[in-house]
Amino acid sequence: MPKFIYIIFGLMTCFWSAFAQEWKAPEEEKENVSIRLFDNEIETEGGVLFMNSCKSCHGSPTQEDFSLMLPSPGDLASAKVQNQTDGELFYKIRAGKGAMPKFGDALDQNEIWSLIAYVRSFNESYKQPEPNLEGVVIPNITLNLSFDDNVDKLVVKTLDENGNPMPDVTVKAFVKGHFGNYLLGKSRCNELGIAYFDIDSKMPGDEEGNMDIIVKASKGFGSAKVTQKMRVVDAVSFKSAIEGRHLWSVSKRAPYWLIVTFLSSLIGIWGTIIYVIVGLPKIKKQS
Amino acid sequence: MMDSAEKSFKKVERDLLASVNWGVKSKVWMGFLLLLLVVCLFYYVKQLRNGLGVTGLNDIVSWGVYISNFVFFVAASLIGMLISSVLGLIGFKWITPILRIAEIIAVSFAMVAGLIIITDMGRPERLLNVFIFGRIQSPIIWDIVVVMTYVVISLLLLYVPLIPDIALCKDKKKGVPAFQRWIYKVLSLGFTYKPNQFKLVEKYIRILAVLIIPVALAIHTVTSWLFAMTLRAGWDTSIFGPYFVSGAFVAGCAAVIIAMYFFRKSYNLQDYITDSHFNKMGKLLVMVALIYVYFNINELLVAAYKLKSGEAEHLQSILWGHGSPMFWLVQIGGLVIPFVLLIIPKMRKPLPSLIISIVILVAAWYKRYVIVIPVQEHPFLPVQNVPDYYSHYTPTLPEIAITIAPFILVLIIMTVLSKVFPVVSVWEAKESSVEEQNR
Repeated sequence: MPKFIYIIFGLMTCFWSAFAQEWKAPEEEKENVSIRLFDNEIETEGGVLFMNSCKSCHGSPTQEDFSLMLPSPGDLASAKVQNQTDGELFYKIRAGKGAMPKFGDALDQNEIWSLIAYVRSFNESYKQPEPNLEGVVIPNITLNLSFDDNVDKLVVKTLDENGNPMPDVTVKAFVKGHFGNYLLGKSRCNELGIAYFDIDSKMPGDEEGNMDIIVKASKGFGSAKVTQKMRVVDAVSFKSAIEGRHLWSVSKRAPYWLIVTFLSSLIGIWGTIIYVIVGLPKIKKQS
Repeated sequence: MMDSAEKSFKKVERDLLASVNWGVKSKVWMGFLLLLLVVCLFYYVKQLRNGLGVTGLNDIVSWGVYISNFVFFVAASLIGMLISSVLGLIGFKWITPILRIAEIIAVSFAMVAGLIIITDMGRPERLLNVFIFGRIQSPIIWDIVVVMTYVVISLLLLYVPLIPDIALCKDKKKGVPAFQRWIYKVLSLGFTYKPNQFKLVEKYIRILAVLIIPVALAIHTVTSWLFAMTLRAGWDTSIFGPYFVSGAFVAGCAAVIIAMYFFRKSYNLQDYITDSHFNKMGKLLVMVALIYVYFNINELLVAAYKLKSGEAEHLQSILWGHGSPMFWLVQIGGLVIPFVLLIIPKMRKPLPSLIISIVILVAAWYKRYVIVIPVQEHPFLPVQNVPDYYSHYTPTLPEIAITIAPFILVLIIMTVLSKVFPVVSVWEAKESSVEEQNR
């Protein structure tokens, strides 16, 4: 039995040391840069993604609270990470290796760049490289939202600057909530530049059935975002939890049945008691 | 015929009024009780000064022996209703000599039960807030109202049948202190043994006897609702009302048998409280114990068959976990074995039935402990950041002293009542002696 454990341990050491070798990005991807400016909005977006996808292993940047694994995930604010180019980081997030998942499947380009923007926000000496946009066409996407109440679907039309439909745009739709956005779906426009999203009419909107719909679209280096208040769900009438007469309300709002039962028992029983007490002195009169 | 009736009347009066005096023995006994009470009060002052921190109560077990003691006292007081109302209205004549004993027990236990609740308050001066800010949706308000109502009706049900006897004491007991004579004068309401007066007294007794039945059922049902209206596993059952009421009759019957024994012995009432009374009370105790055993099985088996997550943990702990020795001792040793023994006629003689009743009464106290405390040791939501010892509750010395105090108070009230008034109804005893001679 111990022998067996030694063998396993030995194998594991070889295995991990193989992975512990330098992890290099291909040369052609090293110099890739984000065409979006790393501003507050993109950093916040990246921060939310980081919480969901990265923090469990890497911990909070600068806090050195990453998981104990081999090879070590490391703190992302460390020099080892920050000394790499944006392109290298992008490649490593996209492609993954060993215990590091391949996030290219789960996240789109913009999301990966937003993660990098978040990680870079911990590096004060970082300066975002200017993108070389020579020969690159950045699509100008316009979004047009409407609601089809026959089938309860959000219809997103993507148009180019001339007002023609733009196909093959990746579109994501959300509902704005109090504590973050609720993802309605992720879709790709058809050849007519249209994407559909199901809407559950039972979702809680306001008194008129309005919801804040957020749609984000991206194609190549182009992206667009629209927030629009739309009437898409059933109207909700809001009631206070203590409105009306309940067992859990204040005393003034006790249920009528309880008040009637309580008071009638009280009056009935105490009425009889008082009848007896008032009647007792009659004994003297009888003498 | 008249002569012999006159004679037996005189004997009845002499026998039953003999105990209405303050002899040396009773003074020593009262002194002893008062001394014990002062010791307990010392601990209560300590609790008043330092708050409930002097008890074993904590974040997890916040209802301890005070509450289980309260439940026990309410339970014991219920017997007044069963004997004086239910059996009386049905027309059983044999209960006449023990009616007043049952009522004295009811009054003293019910009065003290209200006080026990106050000892469970860290800030008793805030009691008034319950009435100012109380919500009628809360079972606690129902409980306070119904306890007070029950005390008043029980007092009346003790007092109204006493009126003819108080008048008798006023006439015959000239040697008692002036204050006591003044009490007799005020309380006798000018009763002069006129037939119309007897009629009035009997009418009011009947009204009160009927009235006390729903109120007595309510007092213990509402007490059970203090538990059953919550979602805690182990309390959240619909049988709790009748379960408590039937358990109350077991405790009450045992208390009456114990009181009967000591009153009979110390007041020489062998001619009035006879072996036949012990025999019949023993049979009554067997009947109520059978009902209670049935409810116990129902209460436990329905939950134990399904073992819902919360219930499972609680049942595991009381059936075979760390609370199980007390549970089985109470159920088997304090309920099943005693009532099986009582089925044997020889065991219904005064002395054996006294011993069995003491065992039952002590077990009945622990039974309330088993109902109230172990449930809280398994909260639905984990309580965080508390010391380990919080999950087990042990009463502290001040808490035990403050729990004993109500028993002393009950003994004091019973002693005073039985020393100031005849403990067996004189006029009713005369009535039954007339009936016997006419037969």
